[in-house]
Amino acid sequence: MAKRITIDPITRIEGHLRIDVEVDNNKVNNAWASCTMWRGIEKILRGRDPRDAWLFTQRFCGVCTTVHAMASVRAVEDALQLEVPLNAQYVRNLILIAHALHDHIVHFYQLSALDWVDVMQIPKADPGRTSKLAESISPWPRNSRNELKAAQDKVNAIAASGQLGILANGYWGHPAMRLSPDVNLLAFSHYLQALEYQRKALQVVGMLGAKTPHIQTLTVGGVANAIDLDSTSALSMDKLEMIRTLLGEVVKFIHEVYFVDVCAVAAMYADWFGIGGGVKNYLAVPDLPLDTKGTTYDLPGGFIMNGNIAGTQGFKTASDPIFRQSVSEDVTHSYYQGSKPLHPWVGETEPEFTGWNGDQKYSWVKSPRFQGQPMQVGPLAQVLVGYAQGHPLTRKYAGLALEKIAAIGGPKAGPEALHSTLGRHGARAIRAAMLAELAQKHWQLLVDNIGKGDLAVFNQPVFPSHEIEGVGPEEPLEVLRTVHSFDPCMACACHTFDPSGRQIARVKVL
Amino acid sequence: MKKVVIAGVGNVLLGDDGVGPYVAHMLEHRYRFEEGVTVFDLGTPGLDLVAHLSDIDALIVVDSVANDKPPGSITHYRRADILRHGPAPVRMDPHSPSLSESLLIADFTGEGPSDVLLIGISGADYEPGTLLTDKVRKAALTAVNDVLAELERLNLRYWQSLETDQPPAWWEPAANPRPA
Repeated sequence: MAKRITIDPITRIEGHLRIDVEVDNNKVNNAWASCTMWRGIEKILRGRDPRDAWLFTQRFCGVCTTVHAMASVRAVEDALQLEVPLNAQYVRNLILIAHALHDHIVHFYQLSALDWVDVMQIPKADPGRTSKLAESISPWPRNSRNELKAAQDKVNAIAASGQLGILANGYWGHPAMRLSPDVNLLAFSHYLQALEYQRKALQVVGMLGAKTPHIQTLTVGGVANAIDLDSTSALSMDKLEMIRTLLGEVVKFIHEVYFVDVCAVAAMYADWFGIGGGVKNYLAVPDLPLDTKGTTYDLPGGFIMNGNIAGTQGFKTASDPIFRQSVSEDVTHSYYQGSKPLHPWVGETEPEFTGWNGDQKYSWVKSPRFQGQPMQVGPLAQVLVGYAQGHPLTRKYAGLALEKIAAIGGPKAGPEALHSTLGRHGARAIRAAMLAELAQKHWQLLVDNIGKGDLAVFNQPVFPSHEIEGVGPEEPLEVLRTVHSFDPCMACACHTFDPSGRQIARVKVL
Repeated sequence: MKKVVIAGVGNVLLGDDGVGPYVAHMLEHRYRFEEGVTVFDLGTPGLDLVAHLSDIDALIVVDSVANDKPPGSITHYRRADILRHGPAPVRMDPHSPSLSESLLIADFTGEGPSDVLLIGISGADYEPGTLLTDKVRKAALTAVNDVLAELERLNLRYWQSLETDQPPAWWEPAANPRPA
């Protein structure tokens, strides 16, 4: 008989993700993802100055904040057909890349790795043996016996004190954990190092964006970073050099640690290539524009339907007509009035809360559709779309990942293995490796362009004098492994602190 | 030099949840602080928070709190109160890491602040919108004084700013009038 499992954060105020799954014979055969909180950004933006829209939009979330800001400012520029100076494109691209690198590192190590790594096995590890193992798969200099021993001592001290701190509530000793003590130690040592490197990536966001979270330097028409190579307050040569140094360290960590670790986890949990596939329609929008008009990009876009990789179609630009015309938002299962899908330009947002009902309405999030179909987006979609189109950088790192997995003793997988829980982690690592390379490229593009004497960062927007129709930018362990691999973002909402320690999530099995 | 972070935390788009950023806004406009003391409007940080509270001596957070006290009440929480219950039992998404998780991570790497004060303001209304309710707006004034008192306790100096007119925060309707 099917069992219903609900994983639900239940604080009074914090709206978060709720997942319901129906399990029959140990297989999930139905699932519902619900956002438990009404956000209403469409209503908040209405009637405001479009030049300020991005400031509000990025407050939607403090984690994926930068992309909301960027999408909003681009939407206004697109409406005004406003070009953006090259320097501004490169600065924006560097902010996006640095934030993505931070995000991918944190997503794997701080938010997902402990689904796979059993910290309580670490006391049994042999740091010398672990160091030799690490050297056989990566040139990373911080895999020394001493550094690994220090990480092990840290775990021993915590275990002895009984104060597990941030490590409390892990699924230690769960039978689904299967790494050897040595591999657990190696991964945990990188978990600690990841905290340092994600911060370096964030420092770059802060230097270019003035603040993080919630950058301050975007503006409709460009960026607010004045370029003056000799000044102390503007974007100077000193600052650019510091950014290069920080990016260099992060890039090395991505290529020699994160990328390798994901391949190692993939090799050792290879059965997870067959689990957690989900919808096999994928959508990626081109990004990292290389010219002022946004006609060429470093990350390709397009879509794939029903896992048909050969049948992929590309988007030439972010405003490709196929993309524009094919998007709609469905409220059949969302707490809003109306029941038919609408194009975002004519979208309606009239809340009507009716309570959770799996057959009817169960979420505050509208369901975005492409050609009427649900789509998977994110790193996996980007990598599959790029791979399908023969994008050289995607092919390069996808190929390297598959080779590395086989070299560590995993299966000889093909790109079809990416439709899975592990595939999403793998794709994120592939994307991170690509972005790491692009970080250095875009830094060089910026510096070369400044070297030509171009200091422009802003084109004054000209608004039509008559009123225009506003179109805003709308745009238990095993189960959790798959939930985490999607990196769901629904609820980055309220930040209210709950001091009572009342249970903030429950797992209910019916 | 002591390094102190004063962080206003919360979502300015969700009514009273915006009180933390509002208090940060008031502090920035009404006061100047001695070197090493920095005021941030941190919005709704996830693990970004760790970077802000690493390698500092003291942390003062102003945030809305979900307790059972009447709206506008202010409650002070110290490190032990915040960490009493450890990390969240089930973490679903990247946004769950909260103040307590961030503090635990900073502690774990040995970089966390030794002095922590959370000035918690009980809110009334967390519906979408960019205005505080009256009780919470009043409480924000008290919270500003509580921040100053904590700075005094830490032997840190501050000065009243010469600007007397406090402009509305950028998210407030007064800063951004809508057509009637």
